[in-house]
Amino acid sequence: MDSKALRKKIFYGGVDHVLRKEVWKFLLSYHEYDSTQAEREYLAAMKREEYEAIKSQWKSISTTQAKRFTKFRERKGLIDKDVVRTDRSVPYYEGDDNPNVIVLRDILVTYSFYNFDLGYCQGMSDFLAPILYVMEDESEAFWCFASLMERLGGNFNRDQNGMHAQLLGLSKLVELLDPSLHNYFRQNDCLNYFFCFRWVLIQFKREFSFDQIMLLWEVLWTHYFSEHFHLYLCVGILKRYRLRIIGEGMDFDTLLKFINELSGQINIDRAIQDAEALCTIAGEAGADCIPPGTPPSMPIETDGGLYLQEDDVL
Amino acid sequence: MASRRRTLLKVIILGDSGVGKTSLMNQYVNKKFSNQYKATIGADFLTKEVQFEDRLFTLQIWDTAGQERFQSLGVAFYRGADCCVLVYDVNSMKSFDNLNNWREEFLIQASPSDPDNFPFVLLGNKVDVDGGNSRVVSEKKAKAWCASKGNIPYFETSAKDGINVEEAFQCIVKNALKNEPEEELYMPDTVDVVGGNRGQGSSGCC
Repeated sequence: MDSKALRKKIFYGGVDHVLRKEVWKFLLSYHEYDSTQAEREYLAAMKREEYEAIKSQWKSISTTQAKRFTKFRERKGLIDKDVVRTDRSVPYYEGDDNPNVIVLRDILVTYSFYNFDLGYCQGMSDFLAPILYVMEDESEAFWCFASLMERLGGNFNRDQNGMHAQLLGLSKLVELLDPSLHNYFRQNDCLNYFFCFRWVLIQFKREFSFDQIMLLWEVLWTHYFSEHFHLYLCVGILKRYRLRIIGEGMDFDTLLKFINELSGQINIDRAIQDAEALCTIAGEAGADCIPPGTPPSMPIETDGGLYLQEDDVL
Repeated sequence: MASRRRTLLKVIILGDSGVGKTSLMNQYVNKKFSNQYKATIGADFLTKEVQFEDRLFTLQIWDTAGQERFQSLGVAFYRGADCCVLVYDVNSMKSFDNLNNWREEFLIQASPSDPDNFPFVLLGNKVDVDGGNSRVVSEKKAKAWCASKGNIPYFETSAKDGINVEEAFQCIVKNALKNEPEEELYMPDTVDVVGGNRGQGSSGCC
């Protein structure tokens, strides 16, 4: 399969919903582009067994064992609290005792055993919910989510290094693409870009409808123009509102509130077009703004493991 | 800039994930409760105009993510706070045990000028759950903790049923004003204190 041509098509048009289940597996690197149908079926069967094995690790923890396993109880408790408040207005997850919410929970607890160092962090359930909705299969949703976390794990690390790298990259991109807006942020003590934290952490999940986010994510996951296309989206949206931001003299607090309230107001097609144009204008200089290993680039491996954590991991 | 009567009061709500921070804020400001609030990512705030002793204030209530992993963001969000509201769930011992962490982390990150006298208010939320039968933290235990931290005012609340929420926030407003320097009250045209230093008042309680 010609991955570049496919990714280009997806970048410019998204994927018909009936095809998402297959296409996302490639976009998320769960399947290799040059694999055969037989290889993929074999892989799926192997991965299903592997998933069940990891899941049984925590499913077999008895009540008495759990009493002596604080970290497990706390993680599971945090996940239990979050899955019941993730996308509950989407029919697939709505209503009391919805079995899909249980699957969401099981995948996240299993992931926290698969990647014990990273564990569970708020925001993960936001990523998983559309993936499970598309996959309609527990094991495949798990492995697609795990693949995505290979790239975005840094967003959720305790030291928040992945987030800081992205916000720094964003700052440099604004400096390159809109120096006067950058100056405004500098003069108003806004250079930490924390007002874009939610945009970056969960890739605009809270800013668009469920249907729109599936489209946006597949566009982002093509990595067609840049692995960091989401940062160009941030720049594009900020530029769209630059006159208001500067004209109204927004300080950090006002800006944060303004950005949070843009949720549901952003035109997705325009935002993608703006980002594409900015990406083209920035060229190599844009890529140079972003430090190597910045999510969603693959992390730079070190001897100590990918997710160095302090002891009090939750 | 000349010092004027302060009209903005900044309040930060902290506590473990899922104790009801967003719900308390929305119940107070919008008189609404929803089972469907999403986990807060980053931070957000709501404002409400309040009257206290014939003066009008804009109360800015900051709601933050409850997972410890996001605490490093606090530096940006806690600065300039006038009061910190600590929230725990009376049905969760862990959320109560973590209050010390939240309090200390706040004092480190907000670095108020007079940490010993910085106003905190404690809320024990979700008293409505299961008619009180699933409660694990007693009022006595909570009050003992408050006493050990310099008499922090304490309220038992239900964001769902709106119990004690108004009363708690009235106390929060009062405490947020506790450390307001006298001269700011009566001498509106004096020069501002360098560095915006405030918080030199005596401690007190509702």
